[in-house]
Amino acid sequence: MNTSLKAARFALIAFVLVGAALPLYLLAKQSMTPELETFAWPPHWIPHHPTLSHFISVFAVNELRSAVLRSLAVAAISAVIATSLGAMLAHAMARNSIAQRLGFSTVSGIRLLPMIAVAIPLGIILATVGIYDSPTGIGLAIVHAAIAIPTAALTLYAAFVAIPLEIEEAAWIDGASPLRIFLTIDLLMARTSIATALILCFILSWDEFGFALLVQQTNRTLPPLLYYYTVFGNVGPASALALLMMIPAICVVVALGPSLRGALTAGSSR
Amino acid sequence: MRLRRIRARFTAVNASAKRLRTVFVVVPCIFMITMLVLPALNGLLLSFDHNGLSLANYKILFDDSMFWRALGNNLLVPFGSVIVEFALGLALALTLTARRNRSALIETAAILPFAIPEIVILTLARYIFLPRGYLNGAITMTGMHPLPWLSPRSPLAIFTVIVVDAWHVTPVVMLMLMAGLQTIPTELYEAARLDGAGTFATFRFVTLPMLMPAIVGALILRGIDALRIFSTVLVLTGPEGVPVLSTYSYSLWDDAQKPHEAMAASMILALMVTIIGIGGLLAARRFSRDDGALA
Repeated sequence: MNTSLKAARFALIAFVLVGAALPLYLLAKQSMTPELETFAWPPHWIPHHPTLSHFISVFAVNELRSAVLRSLAVAAISAVIATSLGAMLAHAMARNSIAQRLGFSTVSGIRLLPMIAVAIPLGIILATVGIYDSPTGIGLAIVHAAIAIPTAALTLYAAFVAIPLEIEEAAWIDGASPLRIFLTIDLLMARTSIATALILCFILSWDEFGFALLVQQTNRTLPPLLYYYTVFGNVGPASALALLMMIPAICVVVALGPSLRGALTAGSSR
Repeated sequence: MRLRRIRARFTAVNASAKRLRTVFVVVPCIFMITMLVLPALNGLLLSFDHNGLSLANYKILFDDSMFWRALGNNLLVPFGSVIVEFALGLALALTLTARRNRSALIETAAILPFAIPEIVILTLARYIFLPRGYLNGAITMTGMHPLPWLSPRSPLAIFTVIVVDAWHVTPVVMLMLMAGLQTIPTELYEAARLDGAGTFATFRFVTLPMLMPAIVGALILRGIDALRIFSTVLVLTGPEGVPVLSTYSYSLWDDAQKPHEAMAASMILALMVTIIGIGGLLAARRFSRDDGALA
């Protein structure tokens, strides 16, 4: 191995470590810096007067608290809907070649749709139905469910393919109906992947910014709220909020390991 | 007699299994189509509505210089960010796979920027690149002049947008390429070593050709995603700084209250993504067929 390649390799790894540590550090630092000090020039690299007031305000300010709850609700509801429908689609795709082709082409066709081309007319439709910008975020939850189905289906497809057909055959000889086979055997055997799909869909909704910005104009979820805080200059609360938003995703990557990391890219889209 | 009974039961179960499968395909697909495709089609229809059916909305766009800037940036920024992400992603994938004792810490660190929500990365990037941000702070500390990283209409702002986009998305490219690298049989590397191939020759004649399917897949997926760039530009520069079609359409809808023109702009983006996406898929299919003929 020649030395210049080794040096490049070392630089790359240093780059990676900085790229990962910097956001964590700077956000943590900003969230503990009093509002006035954030305007210091040159910027302080460590807070001179550390404070926890921004974290307290995240839970004290009504707008923030309701945004946290709304984000949680939207992510949970959409994850359940997307995983249920995704499991149905994945099962059909794993058992039938026509269903497989149909499923794959719908899933990849949907990737081609730009968010903005869907979100503006969808907002109009949701408004006619009366769930545009609803305080519960139900309209957004349904939209997020629709965009998360491909992720759920692709995650579960591999799991259903791996289940041996002999088990299903044995069940139908014993007199089980196809629906019962699906509910009691296939879902049970794929339970690890179902958990993965639920987590991925939850994160997808938790992170999603575009639809949330356009569909929840005043009853905001966390990503659009963070956007407004950032753009209109509330550095401390914005950083505290940003740290809070990172928690679920970081837990997943650090705790759940490589199997999930692969799945994370399977359905990656904006 | 018994056989006939089993056969009858098989046919009955088979029919109900078929019915169930149809339901299982149709319900999720109808749901996705109703929520995503039908609104887009409705938007297409409304984009031609300007006090009656006409091309007036599109005409207004074509007369707007901001539209042409958005269109240009919407080609330039995705092109630049895909190139940067691909180069970095490939370098990272090779480095991380080549290490003899793979470190979980470094791998996790490499994936982390993608695991962090996009809006969080963008918030932070804004604080880094603002005129009085951390980057200029660090530059001033070294005694050099601070730079206007996000100043509207500047090539530097386009560069910053590309860098920030790459920061968030490079891990995806890296993971796709790492998955591809793992499928290359080690025998090939051994054979190359026995034949006396050096590091570069091994990469050029073993790794690169074997990795080609993963590379093409990663480029197509990332290319399609990159064309839809929205939040990076919105958060870093606002809709006017480095306009792309998504933010242009958003500002027409949100600030200017011109929904029909906004939809026309978004339809042009949809057309662009579809053409480039289908073109890429066709190229990939042709590529893999050539590959099959060679093998």
